[in-house]
Amino acid sequence: MSKLWKKVLAASAAGALVLGLTACGGSGDGGSGDGSGDGHLVFMIWDPGQKSGMEAIADAYMEKHPEVTIEVQASGWDEYWTKLEAAAKSNSLPDIFWMHSNQMYTYADAGILADCSDIVNEADYAETSIENAKGSDGKIYGVPKDKDIIAFLYNKELFDQAGVGYPTADWTWDDLESASQTIYDATGKYGYMAFSHDQIGYWNFVYQNGGQILSDDGSEAMYTEPATADAIKYYIGLQENDWCPTQEQFANTGAAEMFFSGQGSMYYAGNWDLANLCATYPDMNGKWDVAVLPKCPDPADGEGRGVISNSVSYATAAEGENHDMAMDFLAFLGSEEGQRIQGESGVAIPAYNGLEDTWVQFFADQGYEVNVGNLIEQFDYSVKYVNNASRRAWEPEVEQTVLDIYAGTLTVDEGIQQMQDEVTQAIADQ
Amino acid sequence: MKRKRKLGQDNLWGYLMIAPTIIGLIVLNVYPLIDTIILSFCESGVFGGRTFAGLENYIKMFGSSEFWQAAWNTIYFCILTVPVGVFLALIVAILLNTQIRGKVVFRAIFFLPMVVAPAAVAMVWKWMFNSEYGIINTVFHLDAGWTTDPNLVIPTVAIVAIWSAIGYDAVLLLSGIQNISKSYYEAASLDGCTKLQQFRYITLPMVSPTMFVVLIMRLMASLKVYDLIYMMIGEGNPALSKSQSLIYLFYRESFIKGDKGLASAIVIATVLLIGIFTAVQFIGQKKWVNYEV
Repeated sequence: MSKLWKKVLAASAAGALVLGLTACGGSGDGGSGDGSGDGHLVFMIWDPGQKSGMEAIADAYMEKHPEVTIEVQASGWDEYWTKLEAAAKSNSLPDIFWMHSNQMYTYADAGILADCSDIVNEADYAETSIENAKGSDGKIYGVPKDKDIIAFLYNKELFDQAGVGYPTADWTWDDLESASQTIYDATGKYGYMAFSHDQIGYWNFVYQNGGQILSDDGSEAMYTEPATADAIKYYIGLQENDWCPTQEQFANTGAAEMFFSGQGSMYYAGNWDLANLCATYPDMNGKWDVAVLPKCPDPADGEGRGVISNSVSYATAAEGENHDMAMDFLAFLGSEEGQRIQGESGVAIPAYNGLEDTWVQFFADQGYEVNVGNLIEQFDYSVKYVNNASRRAWEPEVEQTVLDIYAGTLTVDEGIQQMQDEVTQAIADQ
Repeated sequence: MKRKRKLGQDNLWGYLMIAPTIIGLIVLNVYPLIDTIILSFCESGVFGGRTFAGLENYIKMFGSSEFWQAAWNTIYFCILTVPVGVFLALIVAILLNTQIRGKVVFRAIFFLPMVVAPAAVAMVWKWMFNSEYGIINTVFHLDAGWTTDPNLVIPTVAIVAIWSAIGYDAVLLLSGIQNISKSYYEAASLDGCTKLQQFRYITLPMVSPTMFVVLIMRLMASLKVYDLIYMMIGEGNPALSKSQSLIYLFYRESFIKGDKGLASAIVIATVLLIGIFTAVQFIGQKKWVNYEV
């Protein structure tokens, strides 16, 4: 008995060790989309909220090409990149997939993406969208999908209760603060909810103040430049006010949940979320609206205007089994028709020039009382999403540093210096 | 000569029979193990392609405060979950072994968390622990940041881990308890032993081999904790650095930052840690585990 027990124990312990190891070293499941030339294309995206829009485009294409079937697969953001990377390694990428500007250089520079120069006419698309579709060599490795912008959401009911006038295009950061204070005093609800985020948060303030995150060519970190550092300090400092929830509170309940449950009166969100928010909170229809971002009252440089604009591209593998079919569908996705369907589905603003109205019209058609048309003028002074080839290495570190500043383990000055060092190091390692 | 060949044929059949398992083991376990070790000494490109880098990854790992913090987080989590969890499981097992009504129902209820997907468990608990709208703070009139206060996050995750595992451990211990012959208890009660004495001198020694198995399994599971932290704390939480485990750090280095070499080094360190803990337990068991029947 005794010996048997020991053997069983030893065996199970050894087994568990080995199992544990493979669980750790596991490579994730490969992409499922290596269609075998039977006219079946797999189209993978990371935003389930946009699935319907992508399916609408696929349906239009399949109507013209009955021999092709296209299956849209949506997954979460983190899972998407894990899957895509494993699929890229094992050469089993989906036939068509979205490519984010964060990862564009990584994939394009590794030779994984097909050159799309022949099917993309640069003049047809927004500059941001074209830039984001390029690899480090300047060639085009994706078809521009959309262009996005940051929106300023406000709760009209809370503004009315506090007797504050609705935000206008002339609002500055001072107006943002004073309205927050007035609403907090009058209603007890939060004012502007400044949560930790780069694209939707402090980057906008940095560029409005005339600062930069990276130099124009992306080769240098600019965090410690006074205009940049001041704006970061200002944004993080907003949390000191009673009317702003703490980062701990945001970790418990996101700004969107607080806003749509009437607990907070203002926050910033990406325009890509708006259609989904309208559909998710029908009871709030007519009780909130969007405006352009408040500008900087006394910028170190420039007019005080600025808003981050990013874009997504459609891409396919350089050596896919259904290469020709995928390229043909990609061309359709980038065509005026494909872009128009995307805009009409409300999920994103088309990258194709002159189609902004299709997206704006969607909200009116659905009866959503949100003046999204306000947002379009922001493209006149928008700033391209901050990016360079080493972003993947520095982004998580910088995000962690910002959180450490919020948590108080670093002072703002130490934190800004640390961000500068992290990005500089990542660029050097590249 | 003839005899030998026959023996060889017998062996061949034997190997054929175990081949599916062995091949599976080699492909799925042994090969990745060796590959991970090799990778930990290499610098790796995002999409494969590696160059030998010597001890660079290990130097980087041991030099980073993040790694030591994660190692401490993991050990702290084990200290909280393993002794408390196994002790509670033993109590539950003893209670489930008594003559009460609806014993089977209770056993099923305690076992249920094991059947539920960890992601679902974590989501529901996350809501219960929500600092502003969660049922726990509301009922007890607290203002605790369960999932955001750096001092509280690991205990919070430990509570959920214990809750999830208690039923499974209790069922294992229960089977151990039920294997104990009734005659010991009869003899003991004839000699005038109290229930507490019976527990101390009969139940505890007799169930100790099962308890040892449970301890080892629980310790390994705790050292590998990842899913609960991913679901309950997650990216963007200011308390993440104070709560991420080694395996979570591995996930971030590997899949978010794309540094597979460093990530492999972290995994190897974790494996060594598990090995050390397990070895200590095997040595220590001689003092308290009773194999005599």
